[in-house]
Amino acid sequence: MTSSDIPHGTALAAEATPRPRRRRPFTVARVVRGAAPYLLILPVVVTIVAILGYPLYHLARLSFQKYGLFELIAHHGTSVGWANYSSVLHDSVFWDVLVRTIVFTVANVALAMGIGTLIALLLTKVSSFVRVLLTAGLVLAWAMPPVVAVQVWVWMTNRENGILNYTLTKLHVGDYSQHDWLETPFSQLSLTTSLLVWGAIPFIVVTVYAGLSQVSHELVEAAEIDGARPRRVFWDVTVPILKPIFLILTSLSIIWDFGVFTQPFLLIDQTRINASNELMGIYLYEEGYVKTDFGRGAAISILMLLIVAVLSVVYVRKMVRTGEEAS
Amino acid sequence: MKLRLFAAAALAATLALAASTASAEPNGHSRAAASKITVWLQVDAQSGWPELVASANQQFEAKHPGTNVDVQYQTWGDHLSKFDATLAGGNTPDVIEMGNTEMTKYMAAGAFANLSSQKGSFPNAKNWLKGLAASGIFNGKTYGVPYYAGSRVVTYRSDLFRKAHAKTPTSLAAFTATAKQLGKQNTKKGFSPVYIAGTDWYFAMSFVYDYGGQIAVLKNGKWVGRLETKKARAGLAAYKRFFNAASRASKTGVENRPQPYDVYAKGQAASIIGPAWFSCCVGKKFTKATKQFVMPSHVKGRGMPGFLGGSDLAVPAGSNDKSLAADWIRIFTSTASEKGLQAKGNIPNATNLLGNSVNERAAQRSWFVPTAKNWVNVENGNVLRTMLARILTGKASIAAATAFADSNIELTLNQ
Repeated sequence: MTSSDIPHGTALAAEATPRPRRRRPFTVARVVRGAAPYLLILPVVVTIVAILGYPLYHLARLSFQKYGLFELIAHHGTSVGWANYSSVLHDSVFWDVLVRTIVFTVANVALAMGIGTLIALLLTKVSSFVRVLLTAGLVLAWAMPPVVAVQVWVWMTNRENGILNYTLTKLHVGDYSQHDWLETPFSQLSLTTSLLVWGAIPFIVVTVYAGLSQVSHELVEAAEIDGARPRRVFWDVTVPILKPIFLILTSLSIIWDFGVFTQPFLLIDQTRINASNELMGIYLYEEGYVKTDFGRGAAISILMLLIVAVLSVVYVRKMVRTGEEAS
Repeated sequence: MKLRLFAAAALAATLALAASTASAEPNGHSRAAASKITVWLQVDAQSGWPELVASANQQFEAKHPGTNVDVQYQTWGDHLSKFDATLAGGNTPDVIEMGNTEMTKYMAAGAFANLSSQKGSFPNAKNWLKGLAASGIFNGKTYGVPYYAGSRVVTYRSDLFRKAHAKTPTSLAAFTATAKQLGKQNTKKGFSPVYIAGTDWYFAMSFVYDYGGQIAVLKNGKWVGRLETKKARAGLAAYKRFFNAASRASKTGVENRPQPYDVYAKGQAASIIGPAWFSCCVGKKFTKATKQFVMPSHVKGRGMPGFLGGSDLAVPAGSNDKSLAADWIRIFTSTASEKGLQAKGNIPNATNLLGNSVNERAAQRSWFVPTAKNWVNVENGNVLRTMLARILTGKASIAAATAFADSNIELTLNQ
């Protein structure tokens, strides 16, 4: 992906032509050599299986059980086959929540990626003093714990004394005194989006900016000499080079936003959460924990995992392919 | 190569997402005999009557040398989730304070120890407040000891009422007229003659009960929603009328965000609805002018039935020393302790201790939520709040909103 890869281009092409394979004699040395990489990754595999595999196995097992408060106290669930899955998939609220969460995720990822990239581009053009100032601001925003950030948002958008209503009214944007930002589901989710995008931007800016510093000046200059305008340079030179970075950022953002819980739960507040504003993470919490139906909750989280896997498989595949091309 | 790492990281993140949705893992194990009992009380005790808790602990520790009391304060919002986690992990507290509307679900699931055989040993057990004691009884067995109750009253500024030439209202109509008068005299933007958060269902349901309605009833073993009945709808219509005449609060707002007493202390309300202890926090400026009365009924001369809130103390079935736990409850609900609670503006747990405060007078007519094991799911599912928000904002007619709420209630209660 960097300019240093370019001279190797010819070697890459040569390697791509298939070579006839010969079976080599089976020797102890060869077995040891062949097993070495696997032995090296063994600790990681064991750790991942222990940390992720074991709870996942229990989660899957739980999703096939009736496991409510009674079972929780008895420490023993009863098997119910696919009943939890069927009840979730026949719940119209689940499908509403799914569509809402997908739209919410797309909006959040698009906004965060778009604004983040623009700020990263801006960083390359400003003086180093401004850059340091901007980066410091971004890092501070990044360092703010989500729960604290939610509280700040709650204060700013407070209906009676919030600074947002005050400022908008003073600026004569309209009469916003006593405006309730949490009145409609759309408004509630938009407010959540503003908080999430604000929180997501620093990571995107820092990463994209790091990527931008890898774009070689020669390429940009060459394009400019050939008469390309800045916009053209961006789309035809910068974007292709940054493509792997955009892919990883987008897929990570999708995973984060799809399962987001803390910010919407605290911002909208438990007392206002209902079928018309639930996102997937909150739906899971409400169905599993609040209603003390852990089996059903487990089924929802397995379904959620599958959905996220499907959503990100496209990106992961693309990334692996781009990676193979580049290596 | 770098990109493969990225791909691996993305995959790992996907897996991490799944792993973060924790499973409830049964992990039963017995514990050693107690040299310590753990008590979960709500923060109300920490902020309101810590000296009563300290005194009970002192007495307990004097009676049982070598045993310490570890009081851990909880918040209403998440204490049940935390309790569920301890049920799964087998490290439940020895005593837990439960809201009276939360008891049934846990009693039905067998979460608490049966205290029936030692009921007589609790102070004033013969005279326990009927309504509160009922919340701790399931299938004829006693699981909860009444701790204290609280009713909801109107806290108001007598200076503003005097200026409006308003007497203590004796009917809903009179109160509405006063509210309108107060609204005319106090034109500050956002000022509420009576501050009511739109989705304060405790207050709104009082109108339903005042007009002879109910939330739900048990018929032939099945729960039936009653909000769409004529009487309940009349109550909700009266609530909407009163809200529109008296409150400038958010129609979708909840009663603890902001706290009504904060609104009042800022001079943004002539009166607020809530527990009698709200008088604690009305602000220095208004403390002197602050008084309370019982919310009047639409029938002249009567009080409106108020929600009788309250707490019970229960011993979780997993406690490793149930008799010590019960003994701590005995000490904490002693006559002296209950009198202390009364002095703080609460209703004590027994009729022989009752006085004649506005709080206690308000408790004379009260209503309680349906005693269904899944009721708490209706509460936490915000079924009533959603209904009220839709009615007040006009998103739905009263008929449509109540029909929707009834079907939701039936679905949840009959699960």
